[in-house]
Amino acid sequence: MLQFIVNWLAGTPSFAAPYALAALGLIIGERAGVLSLGAEGFMLVGALAGVAADLELGGYPAISLAVAMLAAAVVSLLFALLVVVLRVNQVIAGLAIVFFCQGLTSLVGTLAGWTNRAIGGLHEVAIWPLSDIPIVGRILFTQNLVVYLTVPIFFAVNNILSRSMLGLRLRSVGENPEAADAVGVSVPAYRLGAVVAGSALIGLAGGYLSVVDVKIWIPDMTGGRGWIAIALVIFARWQPWRALFGALLFGCIEALIPRIAAAGIQLPQYFLLMTPYLATIAVMIWAGLSKFGRSNEPAALGQPHVREERR
Amino acid sequence: MLEQAAHPAPPPLSLTVGRAHALRFGRINLEVRQSIPAWRQALILAGAVITGMAISAALLIAAGVKPRALLDEFVVETLTDSENLHSILFQAAPLIFVGVGAAVAFRVRFWNLGIEGQMIWGGIAATFVAFYEIGPPVARLPLMMLSAVLGGMAWIMVPTWLRLRLRVNEIITTLLLNYVALNFLLHLVYGPWLDPKDAFPHSPQFHSYERLPEIGWGLSSALVMALVFTALAAWLVQSTRFGFYTRFVHDNPRMALAVGVPIKAVMLISVLLSGGLSALAGFVIATAQEGRLTQSFFEGYGFSGILIAFLARNNPIAAMIVAVLVAVLFVSGRSLQVFCQIPFAMVQLIQAIIVICVAASEFLMRHRLHWVR
Amino acid sequence: MVAALKLVGVRKSFDGFLALDDADFAANTGEVHALLGENGAGKSSLMNVAAGLYTAEAGRLFVDGEEVVLSGPRDAMACRIGMVHQEFKLVKPFTVAENVLLANWRGRFAPGVREVERQITTQAAELGFAIDPRSRVDELSIAERQRVEIIKVLLAGARILILDEPTAVLTDEEAVRLLTTVRTLAARGAAVVLVTHKLGEVTAFTDRVTVMRNGRAVAVLDSRSTTANELTQLAVGTTVAQPRRASSPPGAPVMTVKGLRAARADGHVTVTDATFHVRAGEIYGIAGVGGNGQTELVEALTGVRAPLAGSVELDGTGDTTGSPAEALRDLGVASIPADRFGYGLAGGLSVADNFCVGQMHKGCYGTWLRTDSAAMRKATGRAVGEFDVQGVRNLRQKAALLSGGNAQKLIIAREFSRDPKVIIAHSPSRGLDVRACAAVQERLLSARAGGAAIVLISDDLDEVLNLSDRIGVMTRGRIAAEFAAPADRQAVGRVMVHHA
Repeated sequence: MLQFIVNWLAGTPSFAAPYALAALGLIIGERAGVLSLGAEGFMLVGALAGVAADLELGGYPAISLAVAMLAAAVVSLLFALLVVVLRVNQVIAGLAIVFFCQGLTSLVGTLAGWTNRAIGGLHEVAIWPLSDIPIVGRILFTQNLVVYLTVPIFFAVNNILSRSMLGLRLRSVGENPEAADAVGVSVPAYRLGAVVAGSALIGLAGGYLSVVDVKIWIPDMTGGRGWIAIALVIFARWQPWRALFGALLFGCIEALIPRIAAAGIQLPQYFLLMTPYLATIAVMIWAGLSKFGRSNEPAALGQPHVREERR
Repeated sequence: MLEQAAHPAPPPLSLTVGRAHALRFGRINLEVRQSIPAWRQALILAGAVITGMAISAALLIAAGVKPRALLDEFVVETLTDSENLHSILFQAAPLIFVGVGAAVAFRVRFWNLGIEGQMIWGGIAATFVAFYEIGPPVARLPLMMLSAVLGGMAWIMVPTWLRLRLRVNEIITTLLLNYVALNFLLHLVYGPWLDPKDAFPHSPQFHSYERLPEIGWGLSSALVMALVFTALAAWLVQSTRFGFYTRFVHDNPRMALAVGVPIKAVMLISVLLSGGLSALAGFVIATAQEGRLTQSFFEGYGFSGILIAFLARNNPIAAMIVAVLVAVLFVSGRSLQVFCQIPFAMVQLIQAIIVICVAASEFLMRHRLHWVR
Repeated sequence: MVAALKLVGVRKSFDGFLALDDADFAANTGEVHALLGENGAGKSSLMNVAAGLYTAEAGRLFVDGEEVVLSGPRDAMACRIGMVHQEFKLVKPFTVAENVLLANWRGRFAPGVREVERQITTQAAELGFAIDPRSRVDELSIAERQRVEIIKVLLAGARILILDEPTAVLTDEEAVRLLTTVRTLAARGAAVVLVTHKLGEVTAFTDRVTVMRNGRAVAVLDSRSTTANELTQLAVGTTVAQPRRASSPPGAPVMTVKGLRAARADGHVTVTDATFHVRAGEIYGIAGVGGNGQTELVEALTGVRAPLAGSVELDGTGDTTGSPAEALRDLGVASIPADRFGYGLAGGLSVADNFCVGQMHKGCYGTWLRTDSAAMRKATGRAVGEFDVQGVRNLRQKAALLSGGNAQKLIIAREFSRDPKVIIAHSPSRGLDVRACAAVQERLLSARAGGAAIVLISDDLDEVLNLSDRIGVMTRGRIAAEFAAPADRQAVGRVMVHHA
């Protein structure tokens, strides 16, 4: 029993990482007022780009992940142009971008022959001697590099958002773009920057999934994680550390599924696969019931900004 | 006091003027338009669609399709080949259902992205009636249809109730429920409903009286059903008081509330209709096309529905026409897949490109650009 | 002497509507210069050009005699022009210091905040009030937020200060304090432009006044040597007669509100304990500056949001607390909302649709199965003529194309054609020019003569004093005191300030 729990918790951070990174990327964009429904698409692009780089550039995980981030950032530029410059409705643009990315990645993956080819991936790194501590050592100090990096990334982003001028201006753009504009903060520039930077993280999440976790590219492999990340951000009330907590929760749930099968417990397979989605809906219900659920929402989230709108 | 500010000295004013001269091209000023004539809207829309198609054509050529083959497939074959025409009309029926279904929901600002899930439940509910042989053979098909509609409506009630009662955003809930429905479907076709004859993941074949009949000229009654429901939806939206109210819910929900429009009732009915129509799409595919419940019959219809509703501006009759055009895309996409080895994902990509172009073109409709100085 | 701020020949249009038509303006250092005009004259637009928010199509801008071209608000700040807008440009969840820091960046964040906090305290003390730089903006009162805006602009180095209708949101006493502060600033070497439509302020607190009408400056006068009548004549063009209120004995109470408690959407309680009643044939005016619960009170009375506690009783029906809007409308309650295009009309739908939606459920325009467009058009056409809604070329045009005044007339047409028993009018003349104002007030008075009970909620004290038979003063969510007409303005003002 103990072994079961230890194995389960040890697997959790690896499952939680993509959720955490994607949620963080979304938070950056949403704090600037841009609702990025394209997350699922950017994750897919990151996943494909990561595998492609791995296959074509010699199999160095660091480079593959960097390419994943870059590719997602480039595609998000299209989304950002639509939403920030052309003031397209953010829901439509987000949905269109997701389907665009789904189609594009399926197409390119098949045509370039990157589909269904296994790659090396990234191994776990044990932080000796901490990893030798019974139970805790296995869970906390025997993970792969990206999982370890997630924590400093969270620190960095949280610091920038709440304790720097850059973060102050970014948040002002998301709360009251008229106020920001009136003091000379360029609303389009900050929104564009936030979307692209956030999408790089989302791409990293996708790249992690394909390069480090599953070690292969299959069309539509993200399986709705982008949407779950969007729900996570609402649950986390747009705060990075709460998002990390939520990601760990989902990582827990997802890590449980293979453990149950491995332990020989017989539960209907497809019902188990439903659990992350049902859990997300439960989380959204909880957020809806909770009185403080919406009070932290960036006030201008989802609204385009035009300077000379005559009232 | 005014000089106290430790703020860095502002640039001398002459510099500001100098900068202006250097900016020879002046500034582009963005202004929101109050209105735009309908013909100009139509022109911009048409231009956007053509641009989208041009970009898609360029992509296809880059992927290795010969331009000649492209022209052949999409234009010539469509208009001349009678078998192709039949395929298109056959394919159009479920597309009309999802397109009109999406439009009916979007009209009240309910983002029904769960079309595929509702289709799945439509198929499951219909198959349930067939599998357990409920009702005499004469009534079997109508019962299947009723069951499908109820299944779709029940499935869409979950996110609707969450939205109306708990203000939970329906975009995520409807989408995630798709995955739940999919997993349940897989559970059924890989498990209790697996066809014992060939052990493939689909249900046993329907009897002949459980399939939608053809009505002559090689056309399926599914198409007639689609046309009937479209006419019903159009009547509902244009001529009834219900349709009148939906216009207010769409344009200004706060005002609608203040003025006494029964918003919740209007939304509820619209959404249920949407769920029912999507379920009928599933019913139609299962009974007219596949003849059984399969594991991926719904793929591609979710976004297609959204695309159709978006291009048709939520108008049911326009949605019907756009659905036929999307059917052309589907059929041509399939033959491109067979003859030129282009994956079917290309169809999804083309649809997304067209939506992006049309959405981007709305910028020109809603704003005006001024060249200043 | 060279003018601190000078605008020459400014031209600006919004999608075909000419807001500024060759407008000129000049203000000198050390003076308080009023920019007077009625709503829609172009005052705010002209100053938005000066502040770099709008780009003029033609015209030139001079600061201290040198021509400048502004490509945005930052250029205006560089030219030492600072503007305090009617709708404050403050980020509500941020603290005062963070808001000021946003406008005056000083390198790194943490040291910047400390320094800004110090400067805010010093600046505020010099101006004679206290502000805690660590408090969040959404916890401050409106008057306090305005002070933050002024400090923000001063700390950015503004020498040319533009205040857009600053006293609209203040009580009389707060307004006096603000205008005194403004005089101090001018005395210390700033050029202050006061955009206003209140004549009293012009004559009492300013040095010179520029009068604008229809997008042009029609006169520049010395404030002390002009009269209210002369200014009105210049601003309006003709004199518009003030609607006269005939005295008539009121009837029995029609609506009684007891102990009403209501909150905003986010749960913040703004109406704490409202108690009053209105009688048939009388206008009950609720005075008070915005932010004291007026909006939530209107929402509770019109059925948009259910109150938390208390009761609303309608004569002949009994307790209607918490009834939804549909039910209240059926019982004869009509509402004229403050936000015309937000709550009163569906801009994207036709004029006919907007008019008929009120009575649609009664079956006047067809059954559930078929709406009768011909009947709709006929009724709308009749109403448009009767209520003098102008600018309607055809009944199918979108309601968003109507001007503010005509939109209000359409709303009134819709609401009044049902012969309502109770009318809840929330800031009905806000943003309207004098003619439209008078028309709206005429309608209210004639409804009153017809026996309706009217609740008039407005932050324009003059309007409330002119029209009401009885006045209740609303502060901090309660009706603090009631007066009968004719009420003493000073007495009313005292209650408004005394936040008990």
